[in-house]
Amino acid sequence: MRPRLTTWIGVLALAAAAPWPVVQGFAFAQTGDVIADAEMPTLTGGTHHLFSNATANVFIFFRAGQEHSQATLREFAKLEKETRSNSVHWVAIFSDRCPTNDIAKDVAAAGITMPVLVDRGDALYGRLGVALCPVVGITDKDHKLLSYQPFTKVNYTDVVRARLRYALKEIDAAELERVLHPPAATTPSGDASAAHRRLKLAERLFQAKNYEKALENVKTSIEKDPTLAAAHVLLARVLFAQGKREEAKAALQRALELDPKDTQAADDLKALSAPQ
Amino acid sequence: MKTPIIVTIILSGSLSLFAADKPLAPLPAGTKAVSIHAPFEADPNDCKQCHEKSDPKEPGKVKKAINALCVECHDDFQKVMKRKHVHGAAEDKCTNCHNPHNASQPKLLTQELVALCVSCHDDQKTQMTKMKVVHGALTTGKKCVGCHNPHASDVKPILIQLAGDLCISCHATDTITDAGGKPLTNFKKLLDANSEQHAPVATKDCSACHKAHASQNFRLLAKEYPPQFYSTYATNLYALCYECHDPKLAADPETTTLTQFRNGSKNLHYVHVNKSERGRTCRACHEVHAAKQAHIIRDGVPYGSAGWILKVNYTKTPTGGSCAKTCHGEQVYARGPATKVQGKPATEKPPAEKANAPKTN
Repeated sequence: MRPRLTTWIGVLALAAAAPWPVVQGFAFAQTGDVIADAEMPTLTGGTHHLFSNATANVFIFFRAGQEHSQATLREFAKLEKETRSNSVHWVAIFSDRCPTNDIAKDVAAAGITMPVLVDRGDALYGRLGVALCPVVGITDKDHKLLSYQPFTKVNYTDVVRARLRYALKEIDAAELERVLHPPAATTPSGDASAAHRRLKLAERLFQAKNYEKALENVKTSIEKDPTLAAAHVLLARVLFAQGKREEAKAALQRALELDPKDTQAADDLKALSAPQ
Repeated sequence: MKTPIIVTIILSGSLSLFAADKPLAPLPAGTKAVSIHAPFEADPNDCKQCHEKSDPKEPGKVKKAINALCVECHDDFQKVMKRKHVHGAAEDKCTNCHNPHNASQPKLLTQELVALCVSCHDDQKTQMTKMKVVHGALTTGKKCVGCHNPHASDVKPILIQLAGDLCISCHATDTITDAGGKPLTNFKKLLDANSEQHAPVATKDCSACHKAHASQNFRLLAKEYPPQFYSTYATNLYALCYECHDPKLAADPETTTLTQFRNGSKNLHYVHVNKSERGRTCRACHEVHAAKQAHIIRDGVPYGSAGWILKVNYTKTPTGGSCAKTCHGEQVYARGPATKVQGKPATEKPPAEKANAPKTN
């Protein structure tokens, strides 16, 4: 899917607003670099390739007995299942400095099914310059490093999932950006929100034919947000129900000033203006 | 994807689902209400807005499932509740926290905010009372809801924003002090002035190193970290750093893979840090949050009791670097031939020099 211009403008605006640096990559492999494949021994015997020609290659460096690594493997076991129908090649990598038995326990506890590769003599660790653990790299089918993601305590799986979906072209740059830098989770508040709620209450009171209380509440709604056209329409209905025809017409006129496309207001006003 | 309710409960620690039933009847006559629900305020004798019957003495059941009834007016909450991570209590019933009639607390809360939260999250109550260091945000300002959205969020665990954004929303002044009155860092100022940032800072993950509620360690650190310039080396003293960095970083005297800070294969982290007496702690050379120099090398080191700062003047080279005469005479280190990513476009220069964007460590 080709992102629209507005999407790119949004992304650029977000990027410009962010004072935080972008995490670039491993010490010796930056995003954009092509990383050479390697055939490596596996935990269970035999060998397996670091990369394949899948659309996305995900490789995870982890350590034995490390809290963050264990948490990451547990979460990624689910992510691995989620992406089973996608063209994704997963591997987990550990240094041969880690006791194999401990690694096997962590792998079994996490429930990952991906091949677990042994980095003998820290050859890959040193070649890429891995400084942190756990850390995840994602490459494309040509083994170009698309993203590098060190562990974060908050939203790690969400971020890696989004980076992977972006690599698979399932989401666009704007959606990735929303996951990397989620908007503040605000709670509806303020006068506009209160006006809307009062209007809803006034509608219920009007339906219950409690015109006096409906009038009181729709007026409160208008006080909170005088530009809420729907509140003026309800005000007109309450006033009309109370026999105040002229005041009702004025309320409808105000509603139409605020929202000339409000067909209900227009119809009501037409009905009220017709000769009796 | 929403976090299922059971996951939220597990993440929340020892959460009793959903603790005791909260009082939902109107406050007794004569009790001053701080907040009143609009339908109840409109006509306290007409219960039929929400209940089956009008009679306040016998209103009967509510007309619908509670949350379905609430969103008939509070329909803007439908969007809120579609966020990825939903507070289990809110997903279950709005009335787990709100009295639908009136309340002696703001926002129709059934209890004072913190008391309400810890009535389920009792593990947090334990932390607040038992730990040595407690975050001031728990007891000041908006308290729990200063950091958490009590309904739903896209950031675990229902944080209003990523930790970095959230923390800096308060820690951007020179006036916040610790319990001993010592001023805490103004992070806006610090980060604006220092482009080289520690990876957890760059990824806005303050909680990688700090506990948000309470800790046994100074500065709410999640694990042990030496507070001094010098320390005897022991792996457990650096537990915080080794949550992400490899303990072998300072354990092996020789390496060609574990660190870039080596002269040939001589591990210079080991040389500086791993001593039985007066080992240099991480802070001797690195800032923990951000610095102007590569690898978050600090600008200078303190010298003497007069508060002098001697400049480090670290210079990064393609295969190593050097420090000016400070702690010792000028020293140069070189790892060996420039490291390349095997079999591909060469990274002739170190990444930080190749990329214009700031580098993280």
